[in-house]
Amino acid sequence: MPKFEQSHRLLRQNTDADVRSLSAYRGISGYAALEKALRELTPEQVNQQVIDAKLRGRGGAGRLAGEKWRIVRESEDEQKYVICNAYDADARSLAARTLLERNPHQVIEGILLAAYAVGATEAYLVTRSTTPEGATAVQQALQEATEANLVGRDILSTDFSCTINVLGVDIGFMGGEETVQMAVIKGRRGMPEQRPPFPAQYGLWDKPTAINSIETLVNVPGIIRDGAVAFASAGSASTGGTKILTIYASPGSEPTVVEVPFGASLGDILEHAGLHPTESDVRAIVVGGAEGGALPLSLLNTPYDFDPLEEAGAIVGSGIIEVLPSNTCMVSWARERSAYLSKESCGKCVPCRLGVKRITGILEGVVSDLGVNGDLDVLDEFAEYVPNGSLCGFGVQATNPLKTAKRYWPEHFTSHIQELQCPTGTCVPVRAHRFVTKHVLP
Amino acid sequence: MAISIRDNFFLTSQEAQPPMVRNEHGHPSFTLTVDGKTLQAYEGQTILSVAIDNGISDIPNLCNDEKLEPTSACRMCLVHVEGAERPLPSCNTPAEPGMVVTTNSDELFHIRRTNLEMMLSDHNAYCQPPCQVDCPTHIDIPGYLELIAQGEMKEAARLVKEVLPFPFTLGLTCPAPCQKACRRTLVDEEIAICRMHGHAAETCLLDPPLPYVQDPPTGKKVAVVGGGPSGMTAAFYLAMRGHYCKIFDMQPQAGGMLRYGIPEYRLPKDMMDREFAQLWDMGIDFQANVKLGRDFTIDDLFAQGFDAVYLAIGCWTSNDLRVPGEDAEGVVNAIRYLGDKVEGKPVPVKDGDEVIVIGGGFTAFDCTRTSLRLGAKVHTMYRRGRTEMGATTEEVEDGEAEGTHLQLYVSQTRVVSENGRVTGVEFQRNKLGEPDASGRRRPVPVPGSEFVLNCDTVIPAIGQAVDTSVLDDASGIKWTKWKTIQTNPHNFMSDREGVFAGGDCQMGAKTIIEGVAQGKLNARSIHSYLMGEDMNEVARRLELEERRPDLFDIVPYKPVEPKVKMPMLPYEQREKSFGLIEMGYLKEQAQREASRCLQCACPAAGQCDLQKYSIEHGLADNRFHDGEPSDYHDYDLDLSHSFILRDPNKCINCTQCVRVCHDVIGPDCYGMFGKGFDTIVSTPFNVSLHDTDCVSCGACVQVCPTGSLMMAERELARYSFALDRCIFCGDCVEVCPHGALGETPNFELSFFNRFGEDVTLEKNDLANAPDYLVRQRLPRGKKALPVMSPLVRPLPARSIRD
Ligand SMILES: Cc1cc2nc3c(=O)[nH]c(=O)nc-3n(C[C@H](O)[C@H](O)[C@H](O)COP(=O)(O)O)c2cc1C
Ligand code: SF4
Ligand code: SF4
Ligand code: SF4
Ligand code: FES
Repeated sequence: MPKFEQSHRLLRQNTDADVRSLSAYRGISGYAALEKALRELTPEQVNQQVIDAKLRGRGGAGRLAGEKWRIVRESEDEQKYVICNAYDADARSLAARTLLERNPHQVIEGILLAAYAVGATEAYLVTRSTTPEGATAVQQALQEATEANLVGRDILSTDFSCTINVLGVDIGFMGGEETVQMAVIKGRRGMPEQRPPFPAQYGLWDKPTAINSIETLVNVPGIIRDGAVAFASAGSASTGGTKILTIYASPGSEPTVVEVPFGASLGDILEHAGLHPTESDVRAIVVGGAEGGALPLSLLNTPYDFDPLEEAGAIVGSGIIEVLPSNTCMVSWARERSAYLSKESCGKCVPCRLGVKRITGILEGVVSDLGVNGDLDVLDEFAEYVPNGSLCGFGVQATNPLKTAKRYWPEHFTSHIQELQCPTGTCVPVRAHRFVTKHVLP
Repeated sequence: MAISIRDNFFLTSQEAQPPMVRNEHGHPSFTLTVDGKTLQAYEGQTILSVAIDNGISDIPNLCNDEKLEPTSACRMCLVHVEGAERPLPSCNTPAEPGMVVTTNSDELFHIRRTNLEMMLSDHNAYCQPPCQVDCPTHIDIPGYLELIAQGEMKEAARLVKEVLPFPFTLGLTCPAPCQKACRRTLVDEEIAICRMHGHAAETCLLDPPLPYVQDPPTGKKVAVVGGGPSGMTAAFYLAMRGHYCKIFDMQPQAGGMLRYGIPEYRLPKDMMDREFAQLWDMGIDFQANVKLGRDFTIDDLFAQGFDAVYLAIGCWTSNDLRVPGEDAEGVVNAIRYLGDKVEGKPVPVKDGDEVIVIGGGFTAFDCTRTSLRLGAKVHTMYRRGRTEMGATTEEVEDGEAEGTHLQLYVSQTRVVSENGRVTGVEFQRNKLGEPDASGRRRPVPVPGSEFVLNCDTVIPAIGQAVDTSVLDDASGIKWTKWKTIQTNPHNFMSDREGVFAGGDCQMGAKTIIEGVAQGKLNARSIHSYLMGEDMNEVARRLELEERRPDLFDIVPYKPVEPKVKMPMLPYEQREKSFGLIEMGYLKEQAQREASRCLQCACPAAGQCDLQKYSIEHGLADNRFHDGEPSDYHDYDLDLSHSFILRDPNKCINCTQCVRVCHDVIGPDCYGMFGKGFDTIVSTPFNVSLHDTDCVSCGACVQVCPTGSLMMAERELARYSFALDRCIFCGDCVEVCPHGALGETPNFELSFFNRFGEDVTLEKNDLANAPDYLVRQRLPRGKKALPVMSPLVRPLPARSIRD
């Protein structure tokens, strides 16, 4: 079992000193990294240190933050931007708001270092307006930092300038997507754009833009201050550092927020959060939030890291781990997820807007004991069609619940279809007509 | 199971690229490989535009327009790019040096097809009415049903008469092939299409409308031989064209099989005569009791000064049973039996007789039900099963309900007689054999299953044939091997110039409506002949017109509303009564039934990209029929704008209108609203387009790939344009905010405009265009434009804001 206590670097626990004020943050050598960077290091060197630390994006895709920055930095454009994604797409994830509330200055320092490394003078922080505590805390911190000449013109009397604008929006799940945030900053309807071209080349107002998760950026001060080796001392071989997770003991319970090193096993993480799932009372562990995959208890030794999770069918996603009780029918669970996602889709591209809705309809048919064997083939087909055809990550991930439910609990589907009964006796019919195929023409 | 779940969009590698070469304009170019071909591309081009520039035009696209920033919403243009883990939309992916692109594969076809299936699963409209396609005369069915729903009965009858002169008669007798194609069956039940035009015509039977204004007399004369449905129809439309027509018929009264083959309880002859009266009012002459071959020949007709002859002599000979003993007394000719009954002559069936009718077609059931009404005990014997019967299901069911004893899979083997008089028929039972070459399972006799059925009368009704004795070799008319008159299949001219043939005598015994359809087509062909047109050209034109359009499947959505059933005479009242069994609709019932029509007609059909791709991708079925109301959308139409009609039911959310209005024109009238499945392109707060800042430029209509936005038909204002005073300053081109005018390399007024590609707009074109041309598309592919450097876009995207 890893030493979880030693990996509290981003999230200040309630027992730690309160670092919300500038003076307190300075007391734990806050802004030392910024001073060091501005006075001693070139932007290339800062960028290189982040590359060396192999800092992977925490927003979900796990791309190397340093590489993204390099593309922005090397672009010939004069104007560049940095965006800090502090949105928490999944309203049930508390990661971004907890960071903003408990450690706002480290976020600001991370944004400034990114701006220095890529050559940006304007940065945005996008967060959810529905949880005002985080937004208020970071705005207060910004005020302090601006007064202390840490943000704004000629920071620390060097010729580096950078402003930070905080934007609070409430546009549902899609608000966390990077190109949606750029559209919202521009005052457009929040809908994703196709990539490539990537934001690093063609981002906000068509300029190169480094957009990173708040969790990614908050790691940067530590990397610059203590070096890549210290950063990698926690975490796995492929992914250095820690991850902030929101853990639900059951779908309706109060969440716990923990910080764990990458590579810790799911079982250890749950134990750390005080949970001891057993076969008799737990059906599945959902990893990744609304678009996450459900894993059986036999996979509790899976390390929490990008590649092993993907192999198992789950994702890092919004950093939520949820325990489903043993009376959960997995068909019904997949249907609920799909119904939720079909309402959250931005509606732009065909496979996601209509495909997810049709999957929901078929699953509703199965749950209502109207399903036929052919439905399983159509579900398999659509589980691939939607990710392959969709425009953005939302559609790409939208069938994870379905895919994992079918992969690990096929008997739940056959029980509904062949025996016309719910494996847990919990499902009630939700529709009276199932979809039928009609061959209209000869 | 391969699960790939992360949005691992690849970043292009930063490795050194092969150096760019510059073209003669100094623009950097490079090469990439598309479908194995090495193509040259310019920096900033998308894969799609490179492909189009190089003549690869088969990448489907529904949300891309060269005037607009790409958006990649429709996912139709997906292609494989080597190194990318998912297909990428070619409309938005920049071409890059060394890229390897594949534009077609099974996987891509499948994704594209599923995209279309998805769109069509929530597309509450239809392109062309399948009922109209399947109606042999192609009546504008949605059109007249809409009129009936509004209570405009006479106008509805007029519309039907454009292609069918006898809507009342056919309303009672047609087997209604249209109803089998009706899309309303996908929701609940078909619409009573056939009875509807009968009702509309019945309301104005004494004062029937003409379909359109009759042409003034031409002085040409046409002889029509045979006064049945086909001949009368041809005479009607020829008379509409101003030609004099005279019908020659061997029977005492007009109507042919309609009068002599259809019993009174299905079609009251006095009502039919009222409908026919319109023909006599139009000046058509009728000569009764003269028979071709007996009383006159074709040469006689030409000698009398007729310019053309239409042969519609029908099929009046009953086929033989071809079993021993069939010439016994009591074996009755079906056609003569029905005819005698109509004329009130004595018939060989009386109360209490036992009658055997052999056959499964219309005539068999007409004989069956006539005999029942005469008080006989009837056996209807057919050698195949129900589905193979020629008669409609209703007729078979009615026959059984009225009391016939129906036996299937039985073949007659011999007629049993005593002293030359029939006493019964011997039958043998059949079973279905192995499928033959055509896939049909033929009945084969079961040995030893013979049985004899006693009777007083046998009526064989196993088909009719043309009486070939009426025309000799000297007539110049040839026969086909099926003993029908040989004609050109499209213009219906026989081997003798000026002699045309149609109806049953040309196609073999078929339905009334098919005879009418041929009469209508013959009238067109004969008119062209009389006007001296090249008959090959006429054949080509008629063939094109009659070609069956491609249809595909769209999931309809309307709340269930059952059919308004035709009130029928109760079975007990039908005994021994020849009163009409269909009692007719009340006006309210007809209106209610007609308003069930889904109005499967879209003005965009033929120009719609969604339709084109759906046909190309073979979407004959859809997996998402019959869901819950929450699975579909049923939007209100916005028809309040004077020039632009909006039907959100046909919108595929491609956002081309949103972008063209915002980015190119400027008023910004459209946006995407709602979330998830309920997302739809509309106006702010969903107000009428009339209440937005719309400048009526029509740019949104031009870009809309479907029929969601349509130009209302309107008279074009006539702008006077003095070409002799134009100094080609180009100011008009400059100031028009909508790019309606442009410059050609020769600095004339544009070739690139609403009137389609390569039209040079000149004074006369403008003045002579009577109507706004509905939805001519802008050239889609750059291929269609004259060769020019890719740097010079024919119409730069402009915003009136800058
Ligand atoms: C539907 C959707 C929701 C997302 N929500 C979030 C989010 O809440 N927070 C976040 O940091 N990234 C989110 N992302 C990922 C971002 O688009 C983007 O990849 C990320 O901010 C990049 O930062 P990183 O490289 O530091 O991970 C979301 C992506 C998708 C497709
Ligand atoms: S995948 Fe879904 S969320 Fe993403 S662009 Fe398409 S419709 Fe919008
Ligand atoms: S918009 Fe196109 S696909 Fe839809 S009904 Fe009209 S023609 Fe058919
Ligand atoms: S109405 Fe607009 S969004 Fe809808 S299909 Fe037409 S152009 Fe596309
Ligand atoms: S996605 Fe490329 S044309 Fe629609």
